[in-house]
Order: sequence, then structure tokens, then C-alpha cells
Amino acid sequence: MTTRVLIADDSETILLLMRTRLEMEGYEVLAAADGEEVVELMHSATEPDPDILLLDAMMPRKSGIEALRQLRAEGVETPVLIVSAHQDEMDAGAPSDVEVSGFITKPIDFDRLFASIAELTNL
Amino acid sequence: MLTGLAVIGVARFLQQRQDFENATARSYQLEISARNRLAAGAHTAGARAAIVTQQHKREKLREEIDSETRDTALLVGAGLIAGLTGAALLFSGLISSMRRPLEELVEASGRLAGGDLEARVKVGGLSETAALGGAFNEMAAELQRRAGERDQLETMKDEFVLTASHELRSPLTSVQGFAELLMLERDKLSPKQADTVEIILDNTRHLVRLLNDLLDLARSDAGRLTIKPTPTDTGPLVEDAARTMRSQTEAKGQSLHLRTDPNLPRINVDRDRIRQVLVNLLTNAHEYCPEGAAISVTAERRDAEVEMVVSDDGPGMAEDQLEHIFERFTRGDAGLTQHVGGTGLGLAISKSLVELHGGTIDAESSPGRGSTFRVRLPTIPATTTSVDGRQTSDMPTLPRPEEAL
Repeated sequence: MTTRVLIADDSETILLLMRTRLEMEGYEVLAAADGEEVVELMHSATEPDPDILLLDAMMPRKSGIEALRQLRAEGVETPVLIVSAHQDEMDAGAPSDVEVSGFITKPIDFDRLFASIAELTNL
Repeated sequence: MLTGLAVIGVARFLQQRQDFENATARSYQLEISARNRLAAGAHTAGARAAIVTQQHKREKLREEIDSETRDTALLVGAGLIAGLTGAALLFSGLISSMRRPLEELVEASGRLAGGDLEARVKVGGLSETAALGGAFNEMAAELQRRAGERDQLETMKDEFVLTASHELRSPLTSVQGFAELLMLERDKLSPKQADTVEIILDNTRHLVRLLNDLLDLARSDAGRLTIKPTPTDTGPLVEDAARTMRSQTEAKGQSLHLRTDPNLPRINVDRDRIRQVLVNLLTNAHEYCPEGAAISVTAERRDAEVEMVVSDDGPGMAEDQLEHIFERFTRGDAGLTQHVGGTGLGLAISKSLVELHGGTIDAESSPGRGSTFRVRLPTIPATTTSVDGRQTSDMPTLPRPEEAL
């Protein structure tokens, strides 16, 4: 069964890049432009739930962290990797009340990303 | 108080003395006139009685004045002692009223010099010390105001660097990502196209490193360059750093040898940060060394420390360059740096990072004889030894595919 990955970033270019690389690796990709869309996709009855979420830490409307906090409160236990520009954003964006599986910095090291996804979805 | 009484006492005594003189003189006159009357053959009994009365009266006056004299002397003595004591007290009061503000000034200056910009003194006491205290407080307030302005500017600068770093990273992620995407289909590119993409990638990596260095520098200046140490296996950490560099050294036909002790102790470090230090040292070796150079990274135990050594057989450095190599914006040979990417910040940041871990870093080099950088980090003084049983492993470099050259 194909691993479904939900990606969220406010940059269309980065979404395209991530989608291309992930699909080349054989993943099925769902894309969201902000935290609101992430929550909508997760609530959607027609879309099967993804196996892992890759959320940009800083997005307009609703950040990845805010979306994650809401989903965790609703009982969603899907593994999440937070994608952020640098360590300071991670430090600021990783409150201890939200469970996060890991962090990925930009520019994305795709080999590391694929390794993390494989590790988190094979549990 | 007593001195005042003594003064009044003495004045009163002088008046009494005058009264005594007058009374005694009158008494003598009365006695003389009584004796004259006696001599003139007047009423004998009355004159004799008058003479005796006057003699008694003078005797009494004498006793009174003697007593007064004694009292006054006592009073004057007491007054004198009191006066002297008072003067002494007054003087010591004067000294202490100067000494306390001065001591306070010394203490506050020390605090101010030590960076406590809140340091102030109580203004009061003598006008001189009060003026001094007032001047000190004004100076301290001015210092604090300027420090506040400077902090504000520093904060603005830090925020700017953070924002710039964030804003630049998104497009860089795209540029690097899509260039890498092209390289994944390298076999579909002409050799010239592949080289072109390689150049884009090289420059992107350089830009990313520049951004990271600037960010670290801003953090370091703001005292926010922090580490999150966790017990880490030394071997895999060094191997990871070497692995990161492999494709770049291979592309330049350089060999990269890795050698780690089989029983390396664990170290309590921020894995990403020490990896960053090693990658920085390896990147320098890679960039300053010509094609075909030999680069090595080793790790071994040295007493209570782990020593990681990055060395190369490249051009090396002269002594005057070596001296300043860990300072900001210092780079190797100016002629060489024309062709070498880098910010001149990497080694300064590496030094800060190693020192944050309680370790040391030093460099050894001479022209034409390569360079050696040693990083020493304290081992975990625990009972556990290394769990990685990795032995010496060489990473032979593969020659770059012919079509890519």
C-alpha cells in the first residue's frame, strides 16, 4: 500500500518541488497551502487520512504548529515533521504541549527527509 | 551641651566673684569704721561686735566663693572634656559622612564596571560627596540609556537577520531543490548542461552556508548561540560529517579518509552543532586544497577527551595567517580566496561552538605542508563506553564519471 504524505507550505513552488520529489520516491501526495487547509483535509470524509504530515512552521492564516495543536486536541496521532527555515523558528515554534516527530530545515535535504518518512511510517 | 553650661557657669562665677569682691570691700570698710569708732572711744561693745560680725561675714563670703570656685572649676573641666569629646565626635562624624558615600561610590562603580547598569548611589551628606554622587548617577543613567538604545539596535539587527534568513531560504530551497531535480536526470542532460547545473548547485550551497553563518553570528552576538547536548556516539557523528562531504570531495577528485577508534567513548554534545564544526573544517580543506588532494578525518580517545582531527596535504598557511585564523572575517591566502567560497566566519563560529561544549580547537599549518585542525571535546565521565563497535573504515573516493568532466 502506498504511503500517503500530506504536505503544507505557503509557497507554491516549494509544494511543487516537494510533490515532485515525493512522487518520484513513490509516495502519494496531498497538498495544502496553509494550516486551515490541513485541518480541512484531515476532516474531509472523502479523503483517506495521510500516513504522515509535513507542515511548514510558518504559514499565513494558520501555522503548521497551530494546525497541529488543533488536530492533536481532536485525537489525531499521525506522525508530523515540522519543516522550517531555521533553528530559531523551530525553537520558537515547538512548544512542549504539541507532540512532533521531528524537524526538517530548509533547504530540504531530501535524502534525510525520505529516511525520516520511512522510519516514521514503518512503525 | 555641657560646654554651653560651662560657659554660662563661668560667666555666673565671674559675676559672683565680682559680688564677693564688692561685699568683702564693704565689709572691710564697715570693720574699719567700727575700729575708728572704737579708737575714738565710742560705745565699745557695739564697735567690737560690729568688727567680729564683719570678720565672720567675710569668712562666710570666702567660704562661699571658694565653693563657687570649686564648682565652676569642675564645671569648666567637665565642659572642656565635653567640648573635646564633642569636637572629636564632630570630626569623626565628618569623616564618616565622607567615608560612607565614598565607599558607596567605589562599590557602585565596581557594579557599573561589572555591567550592572542599574547601579546608583544615595545622594546626600556633605555637598561635595553629594555632588560626586549626583554626577555618578547622571553618568550611570546616561550609560544605561545608551546601552538601552544599543540593545534596541541589536535586537532590530537580529530580527532583520532572522527575517532575511527566512525570506531568502524559501527561494533558495526552490533553486537548490529544482537544480537537484535536474541532476537526478543527469543522464538526460548534455555534459555541458550537467556542468551548468552543478555550478548552480555549488553556488546555492555557498549561499546557504553564508546565510547559516550570518544567522549563527547574529545568534552569537545576541548570546543566543545555544547548544542542546545529548549523549552521542562519537563514531557515527564523525562518519555522518564525512558522508555529507563525500560527493563534493569526489567531484574534485580529492580523497577523503575516515578513521575512528574502535572504542571511542561517548560525548555529551549537540550532534548537529559538532557535525557543523566538522563539516566546516572538511569544507575548508576541500575548498582550499587543489584537485587530487588527500583529506582525512580521524577521531580517537585522549585521556578524558575525544580528539577529532581534520587534516589535508594542501597549500597550508603562513604563521601570520594561522595566528588569526579563528577570528571573524579572517580567511586564508587572499590570492587563493578569490577562487574559494566562504564567509570568513566558519572558523570563528566553529570555535564558539566547540567552546560552548567545553572543548578546544586549534590549528597547525605551514606553507606547502598542509593544515591540521584539532577539536577536543570532553568525554562523558560515565561508566558506559561506546556502543558503536565500528572499526576503521575507509571511504575510497570514486573517480567522477568521465562524461561529467
